[in-house]
Amino acid sequence: MRSFTHVTAGSLAEACALLSEAGGKGRANAGGTDLLGVLKDGIHAQGPELIVDLKAVSGLAEVSREGDEVRIGALATLASLDRSTLLRETLPLLVQAAHAVGTPQVRTMGTVGGNLCQEVRCWYYRYPRHVGGPVGCLRKGDGPCLAVKGDNRYHGVFGGRGCFAVCPSDLAVALTALGAVVDIAGPDGSRREVAVEDLYEPTTLTLAPGELLAEVRVPVPARPTRQTFLKFTVREPVDFAVVSVAASLDRDGPGCRDARIVLGGVSPRPHRALQAEEVLRGGDVDDQTAARAGEAAVAGAKPMRHNAYKIGIARTLVERAVRACLDA
Amino acid sequence: MDRRRGETRQVRLRVNGQDHVLTVGGPAADVAVTHTLAHTLRETLGLTGTKVSCDRGACGSCTVLVGGEAKLSCSMLTVECDGLDITTVEGLADPVTGALDPLQQSFIDHTAFQCGYCTPGILMSAKALLLKNPRPTQADVQEALSGNFCRCITHYHVLEAVQAAVEAGAASATAPDSRRARR
Amino acid sequence: MSDEYRYIGKPTPRRDAPQIVTGSATFFGDLVVPGMLHAKVLRSPHPHALVTEIDVARARGLSGVKAVLTHADVPDWRAGTPRHLRVLDSTVRYVGDPVALVAATSEAVAEEALGLIDVSYELLPAVFDLDEALAEGAVQLYADSPGNVLRPGTRWFGPDCLTGLAIGDVEAGFAEAEVIVEGEASYAGLPNPLPPESPGVVAQWEEPDRVTLWLSTQAAHQEKMIIHAAFGRAVDVRTIGGACGGSYGSKFMSIQLIMQATALSRAARRPVRLGLTKEEHLAAFGLRIGSRVRAKVGLRRDGALTAISGEWLVDTGHYSLTTQAQVAVGCGEAQVALRCPNWDLRTKVVCTNRPASGIVRGFGGQELKACLLPILSRALAELDLDPFDFLRRNYVKPGDGYFWRDGRWYDYRGNDYTPAMDAGAEAFGWRERWKGWLRPTEVDGPLRTGVGVGVHGNVDIGESVSEAYVRLDPEGRATLYSSASEHGTGQPSNLLKMVAEVLQLPLERVTLTAADTAVTPYDMGPVGSRGTYAMGSAAIKAAEEARRQLLTLAAANLDAPPEELETRDGRVFRLGRADSGAAWMAIMGPERTIMGHGRFEPDFTLANCMMTFVEVRVDTETGGTELLRVVNATDAGRIIDPAGLENQLNGCLGSAGIDTALFEETIIDRTTGRVLNANLIDYKWRTFAHLPQMRNVVLETPVDSHRFHAIGVGEVSTAPGPAAVLMAVSNALGVPLAEYPVTPEKVLAAWKRAMDAQAGEATR
Repeated sequence: MRSFTHVTAGSLAEACALLSEAGGKGRANAGGTDLLGVLKDGIHAQGPELIVDLKAVSGLAEVSREGDEVRIGALATLASLDRSTLLRETLPLLVQAAHAVGTPQVRTMGTVGGNLCQEVRCWYYRYPRHVGGPVGCLRKGDGPCLAVKGDNRYHGVFGGRGCFAVCPSDLAVALTALGAVVDIAGPDGSRREVAVEDLYEPTTLTLAPGELLAEVRVPVPARPTRQTFLKFTVREPVDFAVVSVAASLDRDGPGCRDARIVLGGVSPRPHRALQAEEVLRGGDVDDQTAARAGEAAVAGAKPMRHNAYKIGIARTLVERAVRACLDA
Repeated sequence: MDRRRGETRQVRLRVNGQDHVLTVGGPAADVAVTHTLAHTLRETLGLTGTKVSCDRGACGSCTVLVGGEAKLSCSMLTVECDGLDITTVEGLADPVTGALDPLQQSFIDHTAFQCGYCTPGILMSAKALLLKNPRPTQADVQEALSGNFCRCITHYHVLEAVQAAVEAGAASATAPDSRRARR
Repeated sequence: MSDEYRYIGKPTPRRDAPQIVTGSATFFGDLVVPGMLHAKVLRSPHPHALVTEIDVARARGLSGVKAVLTHADVPDWRAGTPRHLRVLDSTVRYVGDPVALVAATSEAVAEEALGLIDVSYELLPAVFDLDEALAEGAVQLYADSPGNVLRPGTRWFGPDCLTGLAIGDVEAGFAEAEVIVEGEASYAGLPNPLPPESPGVVAQWEEPDRVTLWLSTQAAHQEKMIIHAAFGRAVDVRTIGGACGGSYGSKFMSIQLIMQATALSRAARRPVRLGLTKEEHLAAFGLRIGSRVRAKVGLRRDGALTAISGEWLVDTGHYSLTTQAQVAVGCGEAQVALRCPNWDLRTKVVCTNRPASGIVRGFGGQELKACLLPILSRALAELDLDPFDFLRRNYVKPGDGYFWRDGRWYDYRGNDYTPAMDAGAEAFGWRERWKGWLRPTEVDGPLRTGVGVGVHGNVDIGESVSEAYVRLDPEGRATLYSSASEHGTGQPSNLLKMVAEVLQLPLERVTLTAADTAVTPYDMGPVGSRGTYAMGSAAIKAAEEARRQLLTLAAANLDAPPEELETRDGRVFRLGRADSGAAWMAIMGPERTIMGHGRFEPDFTLANCMMTFVEVRVDTETGGTELLRVVNATDAGRIIDPAGLENQLNGCLGSAGIDTALFEETIIDRTTGRVLNANLIDYKWRTFAHLPQMRNVVLETPVDSHRFHAIGVGEVSTAPGPAAVLMAVSNALGVPLAEYPVTPEKVLAAWKRAMDAQAGEATR
C-alpha cells in the first residue's frame, strides 16, 4: 500500500475542509471495507495523499424519525439498519437491502455512506496492480472500456455511456425505490440535497472534492406500502448483485395506487423501471400484471455479448418482487 | 489541522486485556499509517493466531472481536483503532487458568477443522454470535459464519461443534439454579 | 466400531488440535527465520512477450534493498516436464509471469523497489485456448515443443508411462455395440484449489552449495526430490515442512517460488521469504488442468461397454510440472471406473498463455471422467439404461485389472465395491428419485429438481515409497519420524494412532517429529489417498520392527522367547501376564534408544472407490442452481479416524471439487490474458449459508492392505461429484449439458433451447 497522510477528523466540517484542500487527492474512510481493498490493489495511477477518518465524527450514526421522514446518518452501519426496529416497521425494504450486503463482518463495519459511495466492482477497473499492473479504462480516464469487448457478464444492460460498470450499492437501489434523498455537506459549510439515484453518473459519483454524505432522508409513506427487495447472486452471501430489484407498492385493495420498481446490477445507477411502474399503477394487480411488469421492466435493455442473461433474471426478479408484494 | 500531519502520535490498543501503546510515525515507529490491524497484531504484537487469507475483507480469516463484535482486522487501519478493545483467538482461553473457552474445547472434541487455517476466524465469528445470542439456532450460526471461508469444507463439523458448545453453555447456565434448588 | 482396537476407529482428538484452536499452531506465514528478508516479484503485464530491456539500477539503489535479480543474473536452474521453467526467463508467457525479483528488509520496501524497475517488452501473439494453440502457424511458447504440444509421458513413471490407452481392438468393439454415440465435453473452467494460506517459501542459502527451505507443503521429502533435480543435482537441499494452511495437492506447484527464493538468498546472503498474495495465488499460481474430450463410445443393452475411442486434449497453461503424470493417472483411473475391453484414447498436453495448471485433488482422473461421463450419458440415454446400474456394473472388481500409470498391467485384488454402492443408492433413495434420462425428479413451477451419480477410484493409494522410523525411549515413549506434514487430512495424527496401537502405548506417549529431510526419512507424502495404506504401512512396520527389537532385548531379561512376550503401556511381560514383567526402562536401561525402520514398496493392486449421488434444484427463470443433497458412498476397509474421514468426505464440495460444476472457475480475459476474478469475492467459494444435506456412507470390509485392513479415500471425494452435478442439472432441465460450470448464463441458454425445441415440436 502506498503511504499517505492520515488525519482523524473531529467533525464533518473539518473532514470536508481537509478533503477540499487536498483537491482530488484525498479520500474519506469510514468502515474501510471498500477503501482498503482499493488501496491494497493500487488500482489508481496515484494513491490518495490524504486519508481522513470519519469514524470519530459524532452524531452521524443515528437512525431516527422526524415527522414524516426517517433520517439515517451516513456513518450508521449496515448492521444497525439490519436490526433497526424503526426501519423494520416503517421501511422494511431498507432492512432487507442492508441485510443483503456482503457478509456479517462487512455489515458490522460498513456504513450507509460507504455503501452508497463505494467504487464499482468492474473487474477490469479493480484489477490488482501487483499482478502485471493496473488496467487503464475509460472510468479512469485512461483508454477505452475493456468490458465492451471482454468478459462483461457482470456489466450493465441499461444506460452505460462508455463505461459499463454497474452501481454496486444494494442500498442505493432500495433508497431509490423509497424516493430517498442524500444530504451532502460541502467544504464551506454548505449543504445540498440530491435524489439518491442522482449520486451516480456513468463514470463517476456526482460528489466534488470536499463533499461528503451527511445523511440520508427517506420519506415515510403516508400509507403502509408493500416492499420487497430481491437480489440474485451466483453465490450467497459475499457477492454483489448480478441483478437486484427493489419494489414498493402502494396497494389499494386489489389495486395499486402507485408503484416504484428499481433495478440494481444493470446500470451505472439504480435503474428506475418506469414502464413497469406504469403497468402497475392504477389498475388491479395480480400475477399476470406482475408478469407484464417484469416484461416492461426490461424493455429497451441493450445487452452486450455475455450479459444478456441478466435481462431474463431482471424480468423474473421484478415479477417475483411484485408477487411478493401481493402476498405480503 | 496541519499539526496532526506527519507528526508522531500514539495508538492505544487493549488486546486480550493487555494495554499497548504504539507509536505512529517518527524514527521509533511501531506502526505505519498503512498498517492494518491484522498486520499490527501479527507483526508488531506477535499475535499470529489471527490469520490473513484474502486480505480484502471477503474471507473472514482475520476476524477479531472489537468491542465484542466480529470485525475484519485486514480492513481496519491501525491508526484508526485508538482506544479499541480487541480480542483475538489468543484471548479466548481464560487468561488466569488457561482453561479453554467452551467453543475451543468443542472444536477439539468435534475435530471442527481440517487444515486449521481458517479456524481462528471462525472461532471469533462464533464467539461474537454467542456473546450476542447465547442460544442461537443452527440457521443463526450459519448466518453468523457466512462470511468465513473454509476451503476444506469443515462447515458441518463446525456447526456441530458450535451447537454442542451452545448446549453445554445452556446446561452450565442453568446449573447454579439447580444447585440453589437443592439447597 | 469394534473393540478389537484401542485407537483404530475410535474418535481421538487431532494431535495438533490445541494449537489450532488457540492460534498457536505455526503455519508457514507465522514462521520467522532470524535475519529474514522479504521478497516481491515484478510480474508481466503481457500474456506473451520478449523482455528486451530491464533497468534495475533505481531499485538496487533504494535503501533496504538487498538483492534484485532479472533473467540475466539468475542461475540456470530448471523445472517442469520438460524442463521449461526457469527461475526467470527472457520470455514471459502469461500475465503475471515473473520478470524481476527483489529482496528487501521489508515487504513495503520490496514493493516500492518493484515500482522503480523499468522493463521494455517486444510483444508476441498469445494463444489462450486449445484451438488457438493447436492452430496451424500458431505462435509457439517453446521452441522445442513444436505446435505447443509437450512431449508425452513423464520419466518419473518410467519408460512405458501411460500417454493414452490402446487396448484391444476398438473397431471390433464398435461392431459388437448396440448403440454408438459420438460427442464432446469439456471440463475447462480452470478452478483454483485455493488453499486458504497462499503458497510461500523461506530459503536460506549457505555457500558454497547448500540450501535450507521452509516450505508450505504437504510432503517435504517429495519436494526435496523435485528441487534437487531442478538445481541440476548440484545443491545440497534440506526441506522442512509444517502446517501448510491447506494444499489439496496444489502446494507442489511452488517449485518456481522455491527456485526464486533460493536465488535471492544466494544473492543477498540472507534468508529470504517469498510468499504470494491471494491475488498472485489466484492469478499466477496453479489451476486445475483444462480438459476437452471428443470420444466415441460403444455400448450394449446389458450395460457392457464394448469400445471407447477418442482424444483427450489437455490445456496445461504456460508450463507443465505433472500434467503428463495426470494424463497417465487419468488413463489408469478411467479403466478402474469403466471396464471396457477396447480402448483407443489418444492424448495431447498443450501449452497456452495463461497461468499454469498443476496438481489438484482428482489428479487427471476427475478431469477425464468429468468429460467422459456426459458423453457416455448420451449412449445410456439411447438405451434407457440407469447410470447407477451402469457405473455399478462397470467398476473394477476382483479378478479384473488395468494398465496403471507405468504402462504395466495389474490384477486388482481389492474389495468389490458393489455393496458400498448399493448402500449409497439406498441412503440416497436413488431408485425412487431416478426418473429416467433428461427427466426431472420434481417440477414446481420454474423450479426443477434432478439427480445424478458419478464414480471414481484411484490406485495411487499404494503409489511410490514411504519410509518411517519409530524410536523407543526407555521412559516408555515412542517417537515417529515421518515426512508427513499436516495439510488438513489429520494423517499425521492417524499415523500416531497406528504406532500407538502396535506398541500399545497411551496415545499421548507417542509423538511425531517435524517433517525435516535432515531428520526424517524419505516419503512421497500424503497424496493420492496414500497416507493410510502407504504411509501407514511404513509407520506400522517401523513400530513393529522397534517392538521386535524391544522384545528381543527383553527376552533375556524376562527369561522367555520374544514370541511369548508382549508390551503394553511401556512395560513388557509374558503373554497374558500383564501384572508381571518389567518396564522399558528396566529392559533398555537409561542409555539406550531403539530405532525401527519401516519401508513401504509401491503396490498398484488395490484401488479405492467413491460414488457420489447428488440432487440439484434449478430455477429456470433465473438460471440459479442449488445443490440440495449429496450422498457419498465408499468402503474404507477399516476406518482409522471417524471424524477425520467424515471431514475429508465432506470436502467433496470445496477445493475445486463438486462446486467446479456449479460456480467455481478462473475467468481469463480473452483480449488481455488477465485473470479477472483474482479475489475472493469474484472467485466463488461455498459459504456456511448454503450447505447441502450431506451424508457419507462408509462400509468397513477388511481389505488386504496392512494389519489394520484400511485404505485411504480422502483425495477422491472431490472427483465423482462434478459429473454427477452436470448429469443432475441436465436431467432437471431436460437438456444434455457438456460444459462446466453451470452458470446462470448457461442454464438459461439451455432452458431456452429446451423451450424452443418443445415449441418446434408443437408446431410440427
